[in-house]
Amino acid sequence: MSQIALDRVPPAPALDDGAAVRLREVTVRFTTERGVTTALERVSLSIPRGGFLTLLGPSGCGKSTLLRVVSDLIPATSGEVEVLGTSAAAARAARDIGFVFQDASLLAWRNALENVELPLEVGGGGKRRGARDPRELLALVGLSGWEKAYPHELSGGMRQRVAIARALVNDPKLLLMDEPFGALDEITRDRLNEELLRVWENTGATILFVTHSIYEAAFLGQQVLLMAARPGRVREIVPVPLPNPRRIAMRDTPQFVELAAHLRRVLETC
Amino acid sequence: MSAPALSSSNTSEVFASDDSARAQFAAAARLSAWRRRLLPLGAAILLLLLWEVSVVFFHIRPFIAPAPTAVAATLYDKFGLLIANLAPTAVEAIAGFLIGNSAAILLATVFVHQRTAEEAFFPIAVMVHTIPVMAYAPILVLLLGNGMEAKVAIAALICFFPTLVNMTRGLRAVSPQQMELMRILSASSSEIFFKLRLKSSLPYLFSALKIAAATSVIGAIVGEWIGATTGIGALIIQATYNFDSALLYATIVVGSLFSATFFGVISWLERYFLKWNVSQTG
Ligand SMILES: Nc1ncnc2c1ncn2[C@@H]1O[C@H](COP(=O)(O)OP(=O)(O)OP(=O)(O)O)[C@@H](O)[C@H]1O
Ligand SMILES: [Mg+2]
Repeated sequence: MSQIALDRVPPAPALDDGAAVRLREVTVRFTTERGVTTALERVSLSIPRGGFLTLLGPSGCGKSTLLRVVSDLIPATSGEVEVLGTSAAAARAARDIGFVFQDASLLAWRNALENVELPLEVGGGGKRRGARDPRELLALVGLSGWEKAYPHELSGGMRQRVAIARALVNDPKLLLMDEPFGALDEITRDRLNEELLRVWENTGATILFVTHSIYEAAFLGQQVLLMAARPGRVREIVPVPLPNPRRIAMRDTPQFVELAAHLRRVLETC
Repeated sequence: MSAPALSSSNTSEVFASDDSARAQFAAAARLSAWRRRLLPLGAAILLLLLWEVSVVFFHIRPFIAPAPTAVAATLYDKFGLLIANLAPTAVEAIAGFLIGNSAAILLATVFVHQRTAEEAFFPIAVMVHTIPVMAYAPILVLLLGNGMEAKVAIAALICFFPTLVNMTRGLRAVSPQQMELMRILSASSSEIFFKLRLKSSLPYLFSALKIAAATSVIGAIVGEWIGATTGIGALIIQATYNFDSALLYATIVVGSLFSATFFGVISWLERYFLKWNVSQTG
């Protein structure tokens, strides 16, 4: 954990040296007609401010559930959830959390710019100080000139960029991403991975990123959290020994290959 | 364009052939567009001709079936009468359309916010819907009298149900992720309704409105059959009793043209409001 703090000086105030996200023994159970599912079983973890944690695990191990608990979409059945030094609900209400879904979830009747502006129009989001300029954000994700385009006129990768810009418009301190690039081809995904790292360095936000791809997890994360299924639990937290800033070419280094092999071996036993 | 890099004669040739290919393509597209328009028109003219010839050839008496030329002549001669009778029907249909659809949209809004209301009232709506219009039309005429009110009510009722069903479905047709997005943004329920549900229901609403445009005219005409002195429905009954088949056909032509125009206006509004909807534009 300490090497992450060395890699990136966190912009958090000195007073609050706490983690961006801290879970203690968090358990989430769903009760359905088929019985009780334990989606998360006593999960504990902590992400330093400005950190980048990738979540890797088999389908159904509770990755999305974990993001939902952190963003206050569902309550934890038991355990403690602390987000940015306060409760998940307070962090959400303060607009400190940005969320990017697997399908971009853009509103089809709004063009790219209007989609990015949505958070400023609802929930009193426009009155908050520190909102970022939607046009600048579109430029940041490489979409200047596409402001007026409707979602159906954009490619999958471009839609995902719009979704990222939308998640950034309230300048969140924590960005949660649930398989945002899962539906994209590999070349687009590589490009967006590099861009996401640039955005991360640019904004100083803490990122929690769910993926099914071992390479994506290892390339993006400062740490990789491996989860096991049934019940969903933390299997291992693996620090990524790659230097920053990351380059796609680093994936050919022996270090990276070894890391990926290790992740795969652990995943096979999950 | 990266053309400046290759400024040999070669490129101009490439562009020339490209231009001619594009011209060829455009010509082919124009031809097929004309074909699409002209073929049905030609077929219609052929059928009318066949009809005219049969009436003359088989000596069909005018009160059984008029020749198309006789219908055209009536359309021209009695234009004033036809329009005078179209006016009340149009007013009834449009008023019924507005009232029926507004009520359906409001009730759908209540249903989406109040499951209990839906569970209580939806079965009743289904039951009312299964009563044929010919059965409830006389009841409404008895209740509301011989004036326009009864016809408006019939037209409204006939529009109501399809719109209620479609609008309820449309307001619910938001993805779970879009709802989660709104929750993360702390959106209020009115923001969720106006910025998310209402917008995503529009394609559903418009497909119901297009049906309603046609059925509201049917409702008004059925109402006029039961008791009215003016209107397309009344004129149909009169022409039938007088064995004035040319007037009967001319009345039907006028009624159909009105229906088609009403439908066209709604389709145009749909295209205007749903530019973002891929299934409409693409
Ligand atoms: N709302 C819910 N109601 C009932 N069960 C749920 C609910 N959400 C998730 N679950 C269950 O909890 C478990 C974890 O689900 P979750 O969606 O978090 O998995 P995941 O790791 O994100 O999977 P994937 O990689 O396929 O997205 C699954 O067994 C799922 O069936
Ligand atoms: Mg998931």
